Amino acid sequence: MKKVLFAIAFAFFALTGYQAFAQEPELSPERKQAIDSLALEKVRDLSKYVKLIGSKNTPWSEANRVIDRAEELFAPDAEIGVSSLSKTKIEYYKVRKYLERLMRLNYDRVEIDWYKIQYVSDLQRQPDGTYVGVITIFQTFKGYDAEGRLVYQDTTKKDITVYVKRKETQIGGRLIGFWDVLLGDMRVKETTHK
Amino acid sequence: MSKLLKIIVPVFVLALCFKVDAQVLGNLGDVQVDEREFYTMTKQMGQFINRFNYEEDQYGKKLNPNDKEYRNAKKRRDALALLFDLNNPRTSGSLRDFFIEDLTKNNNQFMEFLGGKWFSEVSTKFKWKGKEVDISLIMALEKDGLGSKWVITNVFFSEFQKHFPQGELADREKHFLHPMSHELDFMNIYKIFNDPQIIEYYASTDYQPDYLTLFFYEIKQGNLKFDHVEAVKFHVLQIKNWYFEVSWFNRSGYNSGWLISNLVYLKDNEEETLLKIYQPKQ
Amino acid sequence: MVKQLKSFIILAMVALVTISGATSCKSSNKLSKKEYKARVEQATKDLNAILNDQTEWTLEEQQARVNEIKQTDFSKKNPEIVEMIERAEAKIAKEMAERDRLAEEQRLKEEQRLRELEEQSKPKTGLADYFNMIANAKDVATANKYIKEALDLFESPDAAVLIRLNNYGDYDRPTTAVNYLNYLKDQKRVTVNVDNIKYNEENKITELELIKK
Repeated sequence: MKKVLFAIAFAFFALTGYQAFAQEPELSPERKQAIDSLALEKVRDLSKYVKLIGSKNTPWSEANRVIDRAEELFAPDAEIGVSSLSKTKIEYYKVRKYLERLMRLNYDRVEIDWYKIQYVSDLQRQPDGTYVGVITIFQTFKGYDAEGRLVYQDTTKKDITVYVKRKETQIGGRLIGFWDVLLGDMRVKETTHK
Repeated sequence: MSKLLKIIVPVFVLALCFKVDAQVLGNLGDVQVDEREFYTMTKQMGQFINRFNYEEDQYGKKLNPNDKEYRNAKKRRDALALLFDLNNPRTSGSLRDFFIEDLTKNNNQFMEFLGGKWFSEVSTKFKWKGKEVDISLIMALEKDGLGSKWVITNVFFSEFQKHFPQGELADREKHFLHPMSHELDFMNIYKIFNDPQIIEYYASTDYQPDYLTLFFYEIKQGNLKFDHVEAVKFHVLQIKNWYFEVSWFNRSGYNSGWLISNLVYLKDNEEETLLKIYQPKQ
Repeated sequence: MVKQLKSFIILAMVALVTISGATSCKSSNKLSKKEYKARVEQATKDLNAILNDQTEWTLEEQQARVNEIKQTDFSKKNPEIVEMIERAEAKIAKEMAERDRLAEEQRLKEEQRLRELEEQSKPKTGLADYFNMIANAKDVATANKYIKEALDLFESPDAAVLIRLNNYGDYDRPTTAVNYLNYLKDQKRVTVNVDNIKYNEENKITELELIKK
């Protein structure tokens, strides 16, 4: 009997708690726009970090610091799934591994450039209320050997998961409400574009 | 021929527009090359939906519902024409024109992300008892908590399906336990187990095998081990009397990305039958 | 006018002293009683005036007068004058030192004022300037140098940096001064304006609020 009562009480609290949470107001288009831009900015930040990490002109210590910063953009369990035209099966990398691999690529010179095109999906909410979206960007990669010959090039489509969560923190006695934007899994797919 | 031109012309006009406007939109990158292919590419399934409904303009800019262009029938007609695989006669002929006409005539049917009746088919490779096998997982979006999630609604695996063939009716009718068996303590029941291949004939006439449960069971038993995803496509049944399939086209040119790869006009209760395949338990 | 008159008197006096001195030098003993008496009277009067601050002479003029008085030997008949001379010299020396100290103080103050004036008119490197300098630095070393300089403006490298997105209370994840400055170095562009700065008593930044452009 006690057990049943407890279960009912628990169900009641679970329901009321849930409702209080569910009543969070819908965001205005202006605020949504601000969040979209923030999410896009994180992807842009990542693209700059990737360029720095890939560049042979970046000093080793700087590249390592930048890897740390790039890694901070991602949720801890995020992975990178890579496939190419010849190898369609997805290879999985932890973010750090992927970036370190980029730093150690065996080319004499590397050119990494991003296309202007970008596509930002609508933000959808997952069951816990966190917003999730996907930002698509395109990158070209060129690797040159010591004689300056182009030995490898590809164009990849990158679909990057973006998690957006409302959080609060105390700063200087003030309660600051902020949007915690974290990048999640990233799918890297080679395109036929040269 | 004129119909083909009707499609091809807008594709190129659109592509030309992008060259001019590419600068206006993005500022992420620094590549000074022709990006038209990537503008015309339907880059995400979400973009497919937005283009299908004409909720974003040809440059990928989301339209505000108050905007007069939002879901504009004429613009939608042009956008829809570009959402088909133009290399496939099945999706580039009169059926397609009929479909577009049907959609834009009253212009009141739209794809909805959380509207149900659209499914993802994830083609995967598993190891089954040591050998590589193909399994298709059918997924649907389901509302839950404060948002939604993809859930598995069905699974197709030939090893499962082959055990439940649609037997001949005449054959099925020969197999039953007579209605007075109970009076004899079902002493005749042993016979139904003699032929395991047709054991299901002794179930209710309405009986449908639950492949998903079989799938979970095999995984729990350790007989099935996931290997990788091969491909993804979508099955859409949101538009009345129509079924279409959306697949990924990784190719050059101005007709790539997520495109309609199959289109079927549905008669009467065909929709219900199809839905049962994708989502057996509603 | 008064000053001119004073200088004239001094000159006249010096001239007089020189003439009389020239004569007296030969033999002070030869001073007539009358002359000596007059000198005693004049010396007593002048020294009293000096000791009691009843003269308008400058300290230099006072010293010159004392020197002149010292030419006559008063030690035998009027030792009180010698004593007064000593006191007057001590007083003058003290006042001169005090005057010099004040003058030096004044000079330093003025120097400081001019320096400050110069500082003010010179364009000062503000936080916003550092943001641009870091983002546009020609290389990593230069950017790092500017980051080091900019960090001097902060109470600590971990001072809070808030980035406001709009006026609806939406912020980006809060960061720290050192991280934000490095971010500018890596991203090579400035996308914010300085909105609000909080300082401590030492005028160092404790909290920085930026707003998206």
